[in-house]
Formats: sequence, structure tokens, C-alpha cells
Amino acid sequence: MIFELNGKNVGVEAKPTVTLLDLLRGELGVTSVKKGCEQGECGACTVLLDGDPVTSCLILAPQVEGRRVLTIEGLVDNPLVRELREAFLRNGAVQCGYCTPGMLLSGYALLRDNKRPSEEEVKTAIEGNICRCTGYVAIIESILDAAERIAPD
Amino acid sequence: MKPLTGFELLRPSTLSGALELLATLELAWPIAGGTDLIPQFKDDGCESKHLVDLSLIRELNGIKMEDNFIVIGPMTTQTQVISSRLIEENAPALHEAVKLMGSPQIRNRATIGGNLCNASPAADTAPPLLVHDAEVKLTSLEDSRWIPLTDFFAEECTALEPNELMTSIRFPIVHGASSSFQRIGRRRGFTLSVLNLAVYIERDGKNLSEVKIAVGAVAPTPIMLEKVERELKGMRMDTNLLEHARKMVSEAVNPRDSARSSGEYKREMAGVLTERALSAAWTRVGGKLP
Repeated sequence: MIFELNGKNVGVEAKPTVTLLDLLRGELGVTSVKKGCEQGECGACTVLLDGDPVTSCLILAPQVEGRRVLTIEGLVDNPLVRELREAFLRNGAVQCGYCTPGMLLSGYALLRDNKRPSEEEVKTAIEGNICRCTGYVAIIESILDAAERIAPD
Repeated sequence: MKPLTGFELLRPSTLSGALELLATLELAWPIAGGTDLIPQFKDDGCESKHLVDLSLIRELNGIKMEDNFIVIGPMTTQTQVISSRLIEENAPALHEAVKLMGSPQIRNRATIGGNLCNASPAADTAPPLLVHDAEVKLTSLEDSRWIPLTDFFAEECTALEPNELMTSIRFPIVHGASSSFQRIGRRRGFTLSVLNLAVYIERDGKNLSEVKIAVGAVAPTPIMLEKVERELKGMRMDTNLLEHARKMVSEAVNPRDSARSSGEYKREMAGVLTERALSAAWTRVGGKLP
């Protein structure tokens, strides 16, 4: 099976009983994608599939054939992600860091489509990403803060 | 959690291809978005030997207007339903329900047909589609049949035969009608409904010329409250009617205690959600409440 991972085509043997999450972590060494609940509830394994956030633990590996998968590694130089990353640091939105790659991807997908989201829209965008350290306030502020910087009034 | 094991994944690109596989392969199951099935396989194992992935079948995806109907392909994702103006304008209850379901990650995968075929009594798309008088098309290699959604649900199963797939969902467009969806969850975001309810109304001046009420998670299947609907039809919409409707709905449902809530709580709240839904739908068709 061939699919696009972070801008490059990769060819792998995709077993139907392997999730995209296990394919990425186990076989392709993409460890920013975290294994949390494995039930689609926690969002630590979030990736962008053709641009849309999805939980990679609920996708069977062969289902990404011919599609584009983006993880945070593929967005290292993206200006929007850089703003988000810096806002997370400034606002103390990272403690253990386990949820952070998923949070950044959900935040990125939001700001890519909606330059000036309301606080409510930010909450909706990250409702599928659980953070057990920060209590969300700093994360929400960081996303709003990054929005302010990329699209000042 | 169990490792996934014991199945092959087949990805037909045509409906006839999928039906053929379901009819010929041993223990073949269809899989839609997988957001319910895959966690279930990880919890309980997977009995199926052949999963037939429906996601590449174009004709099962999309929302369109056909004659006087809105027609939804069962593989349409919840995200697609949310962004559809057709749904927002013609079935606001369905639009509201889908917005409240899952998380963005789930809504990008989960499908409307999957939600119905999973046969959960708490399925959030069921009450809105029931009150909009939806029908579903069930197709096998030999035959196709349209049945009312009210006849689709049975206790822990559906009217689907093993070789059949749900291939379309439709409901009529009614001008001057409106609807509203309300639910109770244990928190606001990303949670299963403890109770859900949809109301559909048609307005004639100050009166309700048509009323439909469907409730989920109070019985083994989502149910419609025909007796209450008949009582309310033709009545003048005011605060007395809301109070009357609240009491009647609370008396009409008989939910059992469950892990998520007591039956008594659901009974009370079914009445409260009815009031909220009637008010919201009434306001939506330009009605005022004295």
C-alpha cells in the first residue's frame, strides 16, 4: 500500500488488523502520535487525514491507501503551527506533553479554516482532545493567542 | 483491550460489489466509519471474518434534493451533514443533533447510516429523522425496499437482513415546518446522550397543525409518542400547551434505571426537553410565545 505521510510517499505492507496508529508508531517511527485510550476518546493519536483531524486508533491501516496523512512532524516549519507552538510555550499550555501533538493538530485545523475563532469554537475544536494536566484554560488561551497573532484586527 | 485479529478487510468501490461480497463470504460484516465498531472489536473481539468497508462506494455518499425529498447517502459523514445548508434549513433537528455528536475527529469519520444501523436506543440521529418522517432504503442483490424508519429499529437489532445494506435515507421537504433536537448528557461536549428528543411541528397561525415527538434512550429502541402527538395536534401554542405537553410526555415514557441515569430522572427530563424543543421549533417558524 502507498500513502502520503508528511509530504512523502511511503510504501508499506498494511495488515487489516493494524490500526493507522500502530502503523505510524510501530513501523514508521512516527512517535509524536501518542497511544492513549485506543477508543477514539482521548485524541492523543490525532492525525490529519486529507487535512481533517481523525483519531488514528480507529482507522485500519489499509484505509489510508492513496490518502494524505499529516502528523505534527510534517508541520514543523508551518508558520501557523509555529505560532501555536510558541503560544503554548508562552502560556504554559504544556505540562506532561502527551496531549500536545494532538492539541496542536486540532488547533491548526481550526485556525487554518477559521482565522478568528470564538472561545466556543476553540472549545468545540478541541473537545476530542483530553488533557489531564492543564485544565484546558491555558490551551484555549494559547489557541486564541495564536489566532490574534496570525490575524490581528 | 484486545488486539484486533481474525479478519480481512475488503474495500469494494461499487454497491453491487459490496452486496456480492456480503452475500457470498462467510461471516461478512459491513463497516462504515468504524467509530463504534472498532472500539467494540477491541473490547469484545471481532466475530466477523470479512469486514466489507463501504467508504469507497461513491453512490452511498452525499446529500441532495430529489423531487420533494432530501436524500442522504448512509455513508455521509457527520461533518458533511453539519456543513449542509439543505439539512440546516429543512431539518434543523438533525443539524443540531449531529453538531452535538462525538468530537471533530469522530464526526469526520462517523456516518449517519452507521449511527442508525448500530441500533443504539440512544442514537442521536434517530429522533430527528423519525420526526421528519424518514424512510430508509434497504438493498440486497435481488431486491430493494423502502421502509419507514419507525419500522427499522428493533430491540438490539434492525430490520436489515444479513445480505442487505442501507443504501439511502430520505425525508420530505415541508415548507413552514420546523424541528428541534434536545438532549441530556453527562457533560456538554463529546458524550453519549443519557436522553435525547426531537420535536417536529407545522405552524398554522397560532396553532400547531402538526406535531411529532420522538425520544431516545427511554426504551429498547427510539420511540415516537403518537398519543401525545394526537393530543397536541391542532392546539393553540402557548405556555399552557407547553406545560400540558411536558406532563403528557413525562407520563408517556417509562424508562428503566440504567448506569447513566435513573428512570425517574429521564421521565422528568423527557418532559422538560419537550418544552424546550417545542419552544425552539415554534420560534424558528416565526411563532411567538406570550
